[in-house]
Amino acid sequence: MASSRILPEFELLIPQSIKEAVDLLGKLKNKASVMAGGTDVVISCTKGFGSPNVISLAEIPALDYVEYDSKSGLRIGAMATLQQVADNADVQKRYPALWKSAAINGTPQTRNMGTVVGNIMRASPSGDCICAILAIGGKVVLRGSKGKREVSIDDFYIKYRETACKSDELAVEIKIPAPAAGSCNAFARMTRTTLDLSKVNVAVRLDMSGKTVKEARVAIGAVAPTTIRLKKVEALLKGKQITDDVLQKIVETVPTEIKPIDDVRSTAEYRRDVAGIMVKRIILEALGK
Amino acid sequence: MAESVIGKRIPKVDSREKVTGQAMYAGDYRMPGMYYGKVVRCWEYASAKVKKLDFTEALKMPGVVKILGPDDVTKKPYNTTVMKLLVPEIFGEVFGEIADLNIFNKIVKHQGDAICGVIARTEEAAERAADKIKVTYEPLPVLMTCEESKAEGAKKNGYLFTPLKPGNKAFDLPASFFPNQRYGWNDKDGKTAMELFDKCDYVIEDTYYVPKQKQCQMENHSYVAHYDERGRLNIWTSTQMAKPVQVLIAELFELPLTRVRLVQTIVGGGFGVRLGMIGEPHCCAMAMAVPGHPVRMEFLREEDWVASETRYPGHIWFKCGFKKDGSPIALDSMYMARKGGYYTHGSGPPFCFAAFIHGMYKWQAMGCQTEGYFTNEVPTGAYRGYGNPQLAFSGEQMITRMCKELGLDELEWRKKWHKGIGDETWLKGVTFASDGLNDCLDVAAKESGWYEKKKKYAKQTGVKRRGLGVSVMQHTSGAFPMLLEHSVCTAKLNEDCTVELMQQISDLGTGGHTAITQMAAETLGFPMEDIHLRSGDSDMCGFDIGAHASRTVYCAGPATIEACESVKKQLLERAAQLLEANVKDLQMKDKIISVKGNPQKSISAIKIAKEGVYNYIDAATGKTIGIPGQIQGYSSFFAKHCSPPFGACISEVEVDTETGEIKVLKLVNAHDIGKAIHPPSVEGQLEGGAQQGLGFVLTEEYAYDKMGRVLNNDFTDYKMLGPSDMPDAKIILIESAPDPIGPMGAKSCGESALMGPIGSVANAIFDAIGIQFKEAPITPEKVLKAIKEQGLQK
Ligand SMILES: Cc1cc2nc3c(=O)[nH]c(=O)nc-3n(C[C@H](O)[C@H](O)[C@H](O)COP(=O)(O)OP(=O)(O)OC[C@H]3O[C@@H](n4cnc5c(N)ncnc54)[C@H](O)[C@@H]3O)c2cc1C
Repeated sequence: MASSRILPEFELLIPQSIKEAVDLLGKLKNKASVMAGGTDVVISCTKGFGSPNVISLAEIPALDYVEYDSKSGLRIGAMATLQQVADNADVQKRYPALWKSAAINGTPQTRNMGTVVGNIMRASPSGDCICAILAIGGKVVLRGSKGKREVSIDDFYIKYRETACKSDELAVEIKIPAPAAGSCNAFARMTRTTLDLSKVNVAVRLDMSGKTVKEARVAIGAVAPTTIRLKKVEALLKGKQITDDVLQKIVETVPTEIKPIDDVRSTAEYRRDVAGIMVKRIILEALGK
Repeated sequence: MAESVIGKRIPKVDSREKVTGQAMYAGDYRMPGMYYGKVVRCWEYASAKVKKLDFTEALKMPGVVKILGPDDVTKKPYNTTVMKLLVPEIFGEVFGEIADLNIFNKIVKHQGDAICGVIARTEEAAERAADKIKVTYEPLPVLMTCEESKAEGAKKNGYLFTPLKPGNKAFDLPASFFPNQRYGWNDKDGKTAMELFDKCDYVIEDTYYVPKQKQCQMENHSYVAHYDERGRLNIWTSTQMAKPVQVLIAELFELPLTRVRLVQTIVGGGFGVRLGMIGEPHCCAMAMAVPGHPVRMEFLREEDWVASETRYPGHIWFKCGFKKDGSPIALDSMYMARKGGYYTHGSGPPFCFAAFIHGMYKWQAMGCQTEGYFTNEVPTGAYRGYGNPQLAFSGEQMITRMCKELGLDELEWRKKWHKGIGDETWLKGVTFASDGLNDCLDVAAKESGWYEKKKKYAKQTGVKRRGLGVSVMQHTSGAFPMLLEHSVCTAKLNEDCTVELMQQISDLGTGGHTAITQMAAETLGFPMEDIHLRSGDSDMCGFDIGAHASRTVYCAGPATIEACESVKKQLLERAAQLLEANVKDLQMKDKIISVKGNPQKSISAIKIAKEGVYNYIDAATGKTIGIPGQIQGYSSFFAKHCSPPFGACISEVEVDTETGEIKVLKLVNAHDIGKAIHPPSVEGQLEGGAQQGLGFVLTEEYAYDKMGRVLNNDFTDYKMLGPSDMPDAKIILIESAPDPIGPMGAKSCGESALMGPIGSVANAIFDAIGIQFKEAPITPEKVLKAIKEQGLQK
């Protein structure tokens, strides 16, 4: 039995540059885990899931940026904390889904330490920022011994807690496109108490042309091994006006696209029952209704 | 007389040290030569036999001093509770009390059972060595319900928790003492409740489920024990029952009380979890193995979850009969509790559940059967309310259901049929001396907008439905005459006329120390700053039960008052002698004692106090200057009543009928306090209690896997309400019915606050959607499922 008091022994490596970090990862492969804020890594260690080497990003300079411009969109560096993202005026204005997924994430203490990139890389099926970014769309920028590559968030999650990031790669930033005119997004989650991990979380991005949906992206978490997009729901929305009929269809369709399970937080049945309602409500919220 | 401090909103005496972090909790103590102890627990199984214990690898770890197995410590079995000290021996036998626990165990009866202990030079070394101990287990059947336990216990050679309890039945009420095995009162013609149902116009029956809830006190259990060079066993612990635990330790280790010193450290929350021994035996056993070295031992949060007691979960059956007009005639009931792995409090909370039924409404006859079976769960014990929260969930819902079905106003019914002055309380022969419940109900109704909102919500439609629920309760102030309620106080007058109180008062964060100090200041007419309460050290304090049954102000307060009255009396007597006056003609104000109506004829109390200590002979006269002898007041007080306080709570909820989510919008809790000695503390108790009551009814419960292992032994998955989950809670203190027996009119408030939120929220949900939930906690999952199956009933 591991003890919540005592960390198992591990080698703490503190690279001073991205290159050094990547070299370490190349050398240690899956015998190392990367640590950003550590709000997940450290807890995993006390639960007996630690790795023999921990590579801290703490001393790599200039990774804690949150930057927006109307051309390239939003860039979130690997060490930008949840709180930094929640406090950012551009995020608040243009990406309310992302803003909310960061602002409600954990406690003030964990928001001040935990990062958005860490949330993405943690790949929990209930990860809140994951859900928001999967709906908004974006790219994870990875650096490895073979150089830099960008993976769309749509292709990033492979299976339960497994991502496209290879063991010798490091995520350096997340890129999120600037919202087009008429685009809106929103995020919501359901929890047992305010401070909790999501029973179900949902997010949408709707690109509107007047009252018609040009394009829709709908993401839902904690109802499958990874956060997923609801492709049938998106198809139902595309090219349509949002009427009660459409919404009703959506409520009925959502349960057919998810595979929830029973766990301590909720039941499969309940998740199936509320997922559609949550998607309906978040669509209305995104549209300001 | 200085200005009265009673009822004043003054800061708590211990608040500054707590908020600045200077307060020393047991876990903060460091002593020279100190070692660290770590209990090795069974995490893999809930039921198993230890086949082999292998310390080889662990002993090789750096810093290890000793490892103790079951055979290296006393094998005397014990019971964690102090109950046996509080009742005559014969009582314990009647209730079937047993000692069935060992310090280290060869049979695992629940996950977290203690197997052995590591003593090392550092905490880290102890933890790491503990990890290297190899225990081989042979799994035994895992019994998680009363039915399973009963069936297994009935088999020939079936698994028994203890040979002392055949059939795995942990307790019931013996028929020899309790006819029909029920705690029950017959009607005036001697008829039992069962015999009266025929005469009723309307009979309802229901079964409820109440959850296994954890106290979740902030401070993990921590101890330091030191078997010193004089052969004394010293223990620093945040137990809530300092004196009785000292006695239990002395008994377990077969030492006279002079050789056991217990220092109660600041308590970081109790709620009943520290009502008895938890880790004290383990820490003391380790200390005794390394004489001269203090041993510090601390529970981790995950250990607290599996190795300290919880609330009693189980099923509650009710059958109630009424006349058409709602007059209550007969009540019969049964509480079938899951006991967990050890006997601990045995029948205590279920028995009190039965008792609280009897104290609430004017049934002509009532009865309650209580039974419990051992299960491979964390043992159950005391948790704030002690049987009463279970009644709030079941009994109060049943009354509301009856009122709805008979078309009666549930608030008016409660006003009419609750017991009051002259009626018997929860214990036969003890009658209510005060009753503020109708005032509580009126004020709560007004504050919550009960009548207007009820009308308004009757017509509501839409996805979100609101409802209001009411719940009342009666509790107790100390447990007299069922249990011993004895408190001792010594008030020492210092030579500067300030007062040192020596009294073993447990303040679990309740404000008890503040209230006691206020009562002393009031009695003496001294300012608060001139009173200092010294508490905690058994070397200095007399007997006191400790904190349980909401007793501190009510049972220990009078000891303080009596001791201070004695100090005052002695001062006045000396003044009378020195002033050549009559005691009855004297008054004391601002420490000046003067003859009433003749203020010139006066003497300073400070002078009397000083001359009592520094007493010299006047060289000129050869006589003493002043009167010799340091003044000390003393009281050994036994409670004379239990002055049950009443309370009424109204909650307003909103149910999202599409998701089943419940939002408590407002909670109004009016409490019949008699007299609030320190109002902020009383309000604090009621707010804190609301948080735990809401947890009981909405979110909190242990989850187990099939192997009997706890799935939520942390705050990630055991959900208490946090600050932002709390509703707008309005706490109202009703002082219209000061108690003629309670000190300065006070009744208790420590446990009372949980009950109202539980019953009223359950009833408000019923009001909102017309469905009554028989299982707590009422989660969105259950609500939505019920709506799906039954449809909205409103
Ligand atoms: C009390 C508490 C409450 C929480 N509440 C929530 C919540 O409400 N919602 C929620 O979604 N999560 C929650 N979490 C989980 C966690 O805190 C968040 O997911 C957080 O965003 C993780 O960020 P971090 O920087 O601390 O990650 P870390 O712990 O540092 O890392 C998390 C994972 O990502 C990997 N990683 C991190 N950075 C990189 C990188 N640059 N490249 C490659 N891999 C990387 C790590 O190896 C690790 O596997 C909570 C945690 C706690 C302790």
